[in-house]
Amino acid sequence: MSDDGGLWLLAIGPTGAAALYWALYRFYRNTDKSHAFERETAVDAKPVTGSNDKVDKITGTRQTRIDGDNVAAYRKRVQRVE
Amino acid sequence: MSNTQGPPPLPPPPVPASPGPGSPQDVPPLPGELGVDPTTLPGPIRDELLAPDPQAIDTASDELKDGLNRCPKCGSTDIRQRAGTDLLICLYCRHEWRGERVEEAFGFGEGIDQLSGTVIASGARDIAADAASLMTFKCTGCGAEVTVNTDHAMTARCHWCRHVFGVNEQIPNGAVPDAVLPFHIKQDDAVARIRQFVDKRRLFALKAFKEQFTPENVVGVYLPYMIVDGNVSADVAGHGEVETRRYTRGNDKNKQTYYDADVYRIDRHVDFTVDDLPIESSATRGNLDTGTNTNNIINAILPFDTKNAVKWNASYLSGFTSEKRDRDVEQLRPRLEDQLLSIARAQVHASVARFDRGVRWEQERLAVHGTRWVAMYLPVWLYSYHQPGRNGGMLHYIAVNGRTGETMGSVPIQQWKLLSVALTVGTFLEGAALWFLAHAS
Ligand SMILES: [Zn+2]
Ligand SMILES: [Zn+2]
Repeated sequence: MSDDGGLWLLAIGPTGAAALYWALYRFYRNTDKSHAFERETAVDAKPVTGSNDKVDKITGTRQTRIDGDNVAAYRKRVQRVE
Repeated sequence: MSNTQGPPPLPPPPVPASPGPGSPQDVPPLPGELGVDPTTLPGPIRDELLAPDPQAIDTASDELKDGLNRCPKCGSTDIRQRAGTDLLICLYCRHEWRGERVEEAFGFGEGIDQLSGTVIASGARDIAADAASLMTFKCTGCGAEVTVNTDHAMTARCHWCRHVFGVNEQIPNGAVPDAVLPFHIKQDDAVARIRQFVDKRRLFALKAFKEQFTPENVVGVYLPYMIVDGNVSADVAGHGEVETRRYTRGNDKNKQTYYDADVYRIDRHVDFTVDDLPIESSATRGNLDTGTNTNNIINAILPFDTKNAVKWNASYLSGFTSEKRDRDVEQLRPRLEDQLLSIARAQVHASVARFDRGVRWEQERLAVHGTRWVAMYLPVWLYSYHQPGRNGGMLHYIAVNGRTGETMGSVPIQQWKLLSVALTVGTFLEGAALWFLAHAS
C-alpha cells in the first residue's frame, strides 16, 4: 500500500480475467435476470411521508458510503416488524 | 478521483471488479447492461455481444385448432381462434365472438384502493386434496370415452371421430383457472426469436447443445399464475448519511480522501396499490434457485398484458399443453409480501436522495389491507435442453412470452473455453501492467 502509484496495477490481470469470465457467464446463463416487478408493475402510491432526525456526526472516515448501504437493494429483506 | 501527480497518469482499470454470476434475488439489471465494455474485447466476442437482440417478427397466430366449444349461434363445434386476435370464429357460419374479458366481466380493474380482506376468485380457490387429474368425457359424436389429463392439458381429441374435448366447466376443485390469456405469438415467430437469441451466444456454448439445437421443438405451454391486486401500507426505518466535508491528507505519494458526515435516523411511510402482480402458482416454476434450475428465465419474460385475459374457455387451449397449479393462496402469501416490501423500498428510494452517502434500512413493516387473487393461464413458448451432469444435470430454458415476444434464455457453457479465454485476456492485461510498471519508474 505504500507505493500506491503502481502496485495496484498488478491486480489488473486477475481482476480483468474474473470480470470477463463472470460477464460472459451472465450473458450466456442470465442468472441475474428475473421479472423486474419493482419497475414493471402498475403501482399507485400516495405521497411518501416520514421524518429525518440528526443523531450523530462522523469525522474523518475513509469509507465512501454508509456501512451496510442497502438503499437500492430492494430485495434484500431487513428485520420485519409487526 | 485519486489522481497521483508523481508518475504519469495511470490508465483506469479496463473492467470493474465483477460481482459473480448474480441472482434473481438482486434487482435485475436494466436491459442491455453487461458489466464489461464490449469495445475493449477481442473481435469475435465483441461481435457476438453487440449482435442485435431478438426482434418482433410477426404476431399473427393460427395455432389454435378446433375445439368442442359450441358456436353460440349455430351450435357447430368447428371453432378457432382468429389469427392474431383474441376472437373466436365459427368456421361453419362465420360468427365471431370475443371471450369476455375478465377485467370487465368481474370488475377486476376497479376499486383496488377499497380492497379489504382476501378476495379469491372461484378459480383461485384451494385445490381439493382429492382432485382427480383424469377426467373422462363421453364423446357426443361417436359415444367413445375420452380422457383428459388435467396435469398436462385441458383438451384431448377423440381417437375415433377427431372431436376435441375441453375441460370447460369450472369443477369446484380449483384445478381450472378463472381466465386465460390466448397466444398471440405464433410458433414460427417463437422459433425465429429463439434462433436469434442463440445465434448471439455461440462462441462459448456447449458443443452438444449447438449440435442438438432444434428450435422447431419449441412447445407452447400455458403456465399457471395468480394475478394479484393489493392495497397495502409499508414503513421502513434506518440510518442515512449526508456528506458535509471531503478532504485529502498525506503527501503526494500517499494521499487519502477523508469524509465528514451527518448521520440521520430516518423513517418513511407509503400507502400504495398494485395492479396485476403475477406470481407463479406452481411450486416447481416458483423455485428460482439458479444453482439448481433455470426457472428464473421463465420468470424474466413477465409481465403479460393480463388486462386482456378472457374468461376461461378451453377452446383457446387446443394444440397447447398446460401445467396445473399446485399452490394455494395461503402458500403464495409470503412470496407476495416479499414482493410488496421490495416495491415499497423502490417507492421510497427517491425520498432519501439527499442522503448522498447512502441509506442503511434496518427495519421494515407491511400492512396488507386487502388482496384479490385471480387464477390465470399465461402463454409461454418453451425450448428446453437438458445438460447432463451431477445431481441430474441442469435443465436450460429459452422462453418466449406468447404475447409480447420478450425472449430470455439460458445457454449451457463450454467451461474450459470460457475459462481459457478469460485467462488469456487476464494474462495479456497483466503483461501490459508489468510493461507499464517497468517503464513508468
Ligand atoms: Zn356458428
Ligand atoms: Zn368421438
